[in-house]
Amino acid sequence: MPTNNPLPPKENALFKRILKCYEQKQYKNGLKFAKQILTNPKFSEHGETLAMKGLTLNCLGRKEEAYEFVRRGLRNDLKSHVCWHVYGLLQRSDRKYDEAIKCYRNALKWDKDNLQILRDLSLLQIQMRDLEGYRDTRYQLLVLRPGQRASWIGYAMSYHLLKDYDMAIKILEEFRKTQLPKPFDYEHSELLLYQNMVIREANMLDEALKHLETHEKEIVDKLSLQEIRGELYLKLGRREEAASVYRELISRNPENWAYYKGLENAFQLDGEEEQLKLYTEMQEKFPRTAAPRRIPLTFTTGDLFKRLLDKYLRSSFHKGVPPLFVTLKSVYKDPWKVQVVEDLVLKYAENLKECEHFDRSDEGDKEPPTALVWVYYFLAQHFDHRGDTRKSLHYVDLAIEHTPLLIELYVLKAKIYKHAGDVEESARLMDEAQSLDTADRYINSKCAKYMLRANLVQEAAEMCSKFTREGVSAVDNLNEMQCMWFQTENAAAYQRMGKWGEALKKCHEVDRHFSEIIEDQFDFHTYCMRKMTLRAYVGLLRLEDVLRRHPFYYKAAKIAVEIYLHLHDHPLKDGDKDSSQDTENLTPRELKKLRSKQRKAQKKAEMEREKQKQEEQKKEHQNKKQDADLEGPKEEELVPDKLARVEDPLEQAIHFLKPLQLLCADRIETHIYAYEIYSRKGKLLLMLQSLKRSHKVDPENPHLHVSLLRFIKLVNQKKAESSETVHKVIQHELERICGNKDAKILNEEFLKRNSNSVLHRAAAAKMMYEYEPTPEVQEKALNLATKLSRDLSGLTVKNCIEVLEYMCRGEFGKCEKAVQDYQVQCHNLFPCAPSFIIPANSQPDQIVANGTAS
Amino acid sequence: MATEEEQIDVDDESNEPKGKKAAKHDSGAADLEKVTDYHEEAEISAPQIGEALNVVSTRKKEESTAMQEKEKELSKVKINKEDVDLIVQEMEIPRTQAERKLREHKGNVVEALIALTN
Repeated sequence: MPTNNPLPPKENALFKRILKCYEQKQYKNGLKFAKQILTNPKFSEHGETLAMKGLTLNCLGRKEEAYEFVRRGLRNDLKSHVCWHVYGLLQRSDRKYDEAIKCYRNALKWDKDNLQILRDLSLLQIQMRDLEGYRDTRYQLLVLRPGQRASWIGYAMSYHLLKDYDMAIKILEEFRKTQLPKPFDYEHSELLLYQNMVIREANMLDEALKHLETHEKEIVDKLSLQEIRGELYLKLGRREEAASVYRELISRNPENWAYYKGLENAFQLDGEEEQLKLYTEMQEKFPRTAAPRRIPLTFTTGDLFKRLLDKYLRSSFHKGVPPLFVTLKSVYKDPWKVQVVEDLVLKYAENLKECEHFDRSDEGDKEPPTALVWVYYFLAQHFDHRGDTRKSLHYVDLAIEHTPLLIELYVLKAKIYKHAGDVEESARLMDEAQSLDTADRYINSKCAKYMLRANLVQEAAEMCSKFTREGVSAVDNLNEMQCMWFQTENAAAYQRMGKWGEALKKCHEVDRHFSEIIEDQFDFHTYCMRKMTLRAYVGLLRLEDVLRRHPFYYKAAKIAVEIYLHLHDHPLKDGDKDSSQDTENLTPRELKKLRSKQRKAQKKAEMEREKQKQEEQKKEHQNKKQDADLEGPKEEELVPDKLARVEDPLEQAIHFLKPLQLLCADRIETHIYAYEIYSRKGKLLLMLQSLKRSHKVDPENPHLHVSLLRFIKLVNQKKAESSETVHKVIQHELERICGNKDAKILNEEFLKRNSNSVLHRAAAAKMMYEYEPTPEVQEKALNLATKLSRDLSGLTVKNCIEVLEYMCRGEFGKCEKAVQDYQVQCHNLFPCAPSFIIPANSQPDQIVANGTAS
Repeated sequence: MATEEEQIDVDDESNEPKGKKAAKHDSGAADLEKVTDYHEEAEISAPQIGEALNVVSTRKKEESTAMQEKEKELSKVKINKEDVDLIVQEMEIPRTQAERKLREHKGNVVEALIALTN
């Protein structure tokens, strides 16, 4: 049954040795034995030997030959589970898991009870989240090996993951009954806590509590035990018991805010007085703890708040707590409280300067001189938060005057400039901060980040190289270390510079990191099951399921999508250099200068490359031995120029978009991008899908409004050519979203609803002109879009730049005069932002070159 | 007889390579494995297993019949090939998925598309 040409004993012994060699990684010897069998003309086509030879070759990195031999072996012996299994392993090593699953299934056809194949299959199934398949495989494993605990755990877990809690609990309970725990048996304790987790997820609270009580003695993780118990008591309304649990927890760790929350809930306190009483009590009990002093600032109001805040601030300034402002950020949600903070701290500043006390009436010891610096520092942060650049710079300068070598002050000053829009000055300041302590990696990283914001890519890499491994280029090392903040910022810098290929390379690198992290899960499927860290394991699986929800991925995907859209609209021509520097507006002399600069840069880059190559060769030489052992397929090298010249930019964009649609459906940008992509593909229904999803997130979003009106126009144009069904669907859904009204009316209504928001006005103005591109409408639209007054909402540097970009991109037709006027107006509002400074010979085009593609 | 022996041989062999291969993929875990002195215990008593397995297998049977019935119902729905083509082309989804959606909406292509654009 398993094979149709068995080997005679002598050859069979050789074959066994091949397997042994493979196991012990003696691949060369393995090949020798394989040769001995295959040179015998009688067995030159022996399937299993050929397959094993292929598998061995794969381990030596000879991929193509490997596939050839394994396939040939399989062809010669289609009924051998060994051949199928080997083929599956080969596919798995190339991360083609779907294919590998098929192979294992075929292998099982010829040997359905092969434990090892079943185990391998179950690993792939859980990795691919084929939960039903996993459950079935696990069932077979349980039937075959009911004596092993992994069989039971795996089977129970498959039901848990399928949300069939009853069954999962039942299996776990049956299994638990068979266990004889040793004293202080951590694994058994984890098993119980896992079982409890399943019971709680099934929302069987009484049972969960009972389960906990029954097994209290066996559970060694006392902290988890208490936390779970507190939560259960609360949910069950047994408040007194909950209170005593949370009191115990607080004395265990008096800085954990969640415990205070739990205690508050247990008491169901009414009013701030009562709440405060609780915290005063805790404060007395734990005098050195911050939490009971800080938390009341969130819920108290009026004079009580003022009093508490005063106390909190004074002690912090006295002590010198640098992150004081950060700890208070949540208080800033309430504008009244912001004013109270401002008044108080301004008064401190005044009094400290005069008499070194927080208050004139204070007696006793004078405050230390540092108190005043921290007050200035705080005020600068405060005004920065309020968007008052001038005042915040004033205070930070006062502080620097007071204590010129305090690094925090330069960091803050850099941040203020960043918020004000002047990235170059902020990078310069951060460099200054960094120079005060070059051994501090935090400040080093911050500096590199700010340099990237200012498009100083080379400098940023050099900055990082102070801390990266020697002998390797910093950028490579950072990629190897999956240092994603650097890579996303780097991508954004390249995007601003118009180096599409380089930017895309960074985006793909980030994307690969995420794939890598998902890949790394593999090790845990067996390990966690064996070590019984089941709660953590389930947590891991759930994290990996939504991994690409991470902001790093979002940033990279956003940049990639924007660039691919741009490349679709403006594909690079053959002669084009990747960086599209605008040379048309330069004088001949400038041009010459630029060229020689470029030449020099090129030479330097070439030399660098040469050096790198040599280093790489050296490295390769060293790593050769290890390389053979490296797992996973070699990935295609990312070449910037090739990336910028892809044939299918839209498909590439969709590749980055898909995870966002799946995991970040609550972010409207996701659907706005989706619309942009599908509108270029002309897929009406997918455009509709994006609109519907955007509408669900925020029906008043200005980008959505623009897309919606454009869609309506497009649908009317395409009425004749698109299929009737499609049309019916669209009409039905548009009716629901916007009542099938005329686009112009929709625009007017939209404007009326949102007439005091900068971006909404701009969007409405844009559509006004788009529908009716006449000089009169242009004037009206421009007036609408460019009006700036303090009572408009969303009046920020970023939004004004966006409006400016619309104008420069020609969305309002030709309007140079209006652009200049607008820049002047904005410059008055935001004097630090370079975008609004009109250079001597103005070139509004340059902004276009830097603009994004959406 | 002879063939049977061969069979067993092959089985043994095939059990081995997989152990190695698993170890190869997760070398880190393999190292850890060496450190931890894990040995499989067979301490679960037979009658209990039988009982638990019984529960498990009846449940499984119920499940699979329920699944089959649902699938049967779905497969009874008549669907139009052109409709499937339209869905595949417009929504850029695999054919099997398109067919399923259409069946779930009793072959009504407009409703299926509305659901798909949600």
